[in-house]
Amino acid sequence: MTLFHFGNCFALAYFPYFITYKCSGLSEYNAFWRCVQAGATYLFVQLCKMLFLATFFPTWEGGAGVYDFVGEFMKATVDLADLLGLHLVMSRNAGKGEYKIMVAAMGWATAELVMSRCLPLWVGARGIEFDWKYIQMSFDSNISLVHYIAMAAVVWMFTRYDLPKSFRLPVTVLLALCVYKAFLMELFVHVFLMGSWTVLLVKAVLTGAISLCSLFLFVTLVHSN
Amino acid sequence: MFEEASEVFDNMFKSSFPLTFIVFIPAVLILVSPLPAEAAHEFTVYRMQQYDLQGQPYGTRNAILNTEARTVEAEVLSRRCVIMRLADFSYEKYQKALRQSAGAVVIILPGNMSAMPQDIVQQFMELEPEMLATETIVPVYFAMEDDELLSIYTQTLTSSSSQGSLSAAEVLLHTATANGFQMVTSGAQSKAISDWAITSLEGRLAGVGGEDLPTIVVVAHYDSFGVAPWLSYGADSNGSGVSMLLELARLFSKLYTYKRTHAGYNLLFFASGGGKFNYQGTKRCTTYLDHALLQDNVAFVLCLDTLGNGDSLHLHVSKPPKEGTPQYSLLKELELVVASQYPEVKFSMVHKKINLADDMLAWEHERFGIRRLPAFTLSHLPSHRLAQRSSIMDVRPHVDVKKLGRNTKVVAEALARVIYNLTEKGAPGDLQIFTEQMVQEEQLSAVVDWLTAQPRAAQLVDKDSSVVSTLEYYLGRYLKDVKRHYVKADKRDPEFVFYDQLKQTMNAYRVKPAIFDLLLAVCIAAYLGMMYLHGGSHTRSNKTVSCLSAELRCPVQCPLNQHFVFFSLRTHFFPPKIKKL
Repeated sequence: MTLFHFGNCFALAYFPYFITYKCSGLSEYNAFWRCVQAGATYLFVQLCKMLFLATFFPTWEGGAGVYDFVGEFMKATVDLADLLGLHLVMSRNAGKGEYKIMVAAMGWATAELVMSRCLPLWVGARGIEFDWKYIQMSFDSNISLVHYIAMAAVVWMFTRYDLPKSFRLPVTVLLALCVYKAFLMELFVHVFLMGSWTVLLVKAVLTGAISLCSLFLFVTLVHSN
Repeated sequence: MFEEASEVFDNMFKSSFPLTFIVFIPAVLILVSPLPAEAAHEFTVYRMQQYDLQGQPYGTRNAILNTEARTVEAEVLSRRCVIMRLADFSYEKYQKALRQSAGAVVIILPGNMSAMPQDIVQQFMELEPEMLATETIVPVYFAMEDDELLSIYTQTLTSSSSQGSLSAAEVLLHTATANGFQMVTSGAQSKAISDWAITSLEGRLAGVGGEDLPTIVVVAHYDSFGVAPWLSYGADSNGSGVSMLLELARLFSKLYTYKRTHAGYNLLFFASGGGKFNYQGTKRCTTYLDHALLQDNVAFVLCLDTLGNGDSLHLHVSKPPKEGTPQYSLLKELELVVASQYPEVKFSMVHKKINLADDMLAWEHERFGIRRLPAFTLSHLPSHRLAQRSSIMDVRPHVDVKKLGRNTKVVAEALARVIYNLTEKGAPGDLQIFTEQMVQEEQLSAVVDWLTAQPRAAQLVDKDSSVVSTLEYYLGRYLKDVKRHYVKADKRDPEFVFYDQLKQTMNAYRVKPAIFDLLLAVCIAAYLGMMYLHGGSHTRSNKTVSCLSAELRCPVQCPLNQHFVFFSLRTHFFPPKIKKL
């Protein structure tokens, strides 16, 4: 619409990252370069995923409106690479658990924000045409920040040797939920024909639930040690 | 000063990499990226007429439009694009919009014009000349209605009409939910078309017997006129006249191929262009003496104008014909044919003197009348002022092929009786020279269909257009010596000037008012502020409670930071009393 509107969307999308970075104490650790490295890993992993998808998943030319359940599921499975990537980042950083998690998640989420939302926002929100989708996109970036922090926490827990037996199952379930969240959302949209605001709300609730669960597990784990 | 600046920049590069990112990347992006345009709706609009005639400007003088849409119900219209539907259109509303210095007017026409109630059509027809009578500064556009455009109209209507009596909160809510529309045309400003040539066509059938045979001229102008050139299909005026001309050419060419029916009259058929602009095509041919028309011994000139409907025929003359002249005999033959063969038709002669003080000539025959050529116009209209002759509502259903066929037959019979001098030879009035099959209604209907398949406004028919070339081909099939005549306006003192940009693409962009952006900014600031305060208090409390183990510091709780709800949960999960230290 106007540059002002772009400013609004930009602030909504970016400032939570900034605030998180500042308030989480990452800035005290001087972790900026570590985050950039995590972002670079994100890029590398995405490239690998894309190559893999392009090689082994030919474009499905089914009828319009038909949902390719198996194909989408397989594609979502490729997102497991994200977990590997996050693990890679965390294993390369020495430090306390939460520091590792935050660095990996911040770098990862920021890289995603820059790569996949910056340009659409710049191109779309500044045009004459007004659309709510840019505000939604900015909200979505907030949600994905939470999502990646939860995901990193779950990965960290999963890779710990001293994880109690009773934790193994819930952590694995959470891991699967993290990976297949996008797929689940797509399925919801397809089945319930939701509007864009409802989708955003459901996404927020789902992400909130996952992150609460992982937080609970994490806190219990840390306490138990 | 510059040194200081460079120092600042140096420091920026050295010390903080992120700052350079924040400052320079957007700067580069701002410089390189163009503004994208992804329209909510894109539609074709047709601009109102713009022309100068004898130095006098008519119609709209502007083509560029980039303003927000309103309906006429809104309180403030200045610098807004006023959209109206034809059903609600009235001259008062139109004038109100112009008086309040609206930025533009867009009139939405229904997709199916013939389904409109007759009184609305009639009313609009009568308004058309009034809209064109004076020059309008702002652009006036016409658009065809579709679902998208209708929804844009209704949304604009709701946002325009309800602003007055609402409370502040309602207005705020309204700005958030309602859509505004920015109307933007893609084209450039309209400018005069230089060297526009109006094409006229002539073809002849030579008579037999003697050198200096009298010539009968049959004239019909082929161009159409309406408030918007791209919407003027001109079915009755003057598609019907042209189709009759072509049919007459076909009939008489048949008669002239046989020796026994080859008459002692030359027949000249003339399809003139620019008829709606003071008969420019005809003017040229009567002004320049080199044209064969004036050298010939002209018996009379018969102009055909608007003959596709109605049960009356009017012979418009500027001077009542004297007895003994060929024109008088044509008048008598017409009366005779109508009286004896078609009693349902009312035939009358209408006498109107040429008013040279008028800007516009009334009928085409007056062009010949000025040159002292005996001429008259045949039409089913009693007066030249009637709006049917210059309306965009004059579409194909306005021509009744049956009546057009009957009128053609009347004219053909009367002409034949004059040419073969049948009355003096004692032929009865009900003698049919052409049988019913000879005047082919399919032929007439096909020609009218073809003519109304595209707009034929004089601005749109240039010398390469398909209308002209098809007409030429058609005339060439039946007539000899088919020639083109071009009329160009004088360079220094042009008699007519046409303007371009008559058809444009208009985009309607969904927009929100500036207040909405402000409101949004406040909301976002509140959201972020809440998050920051929450996060900040969180870190501060951590610092004060320094006993809190590093493991339990905020990185862990960061998911919590996102939402206020989590805050209370944190105290639940993290009792401030720490056992282990």
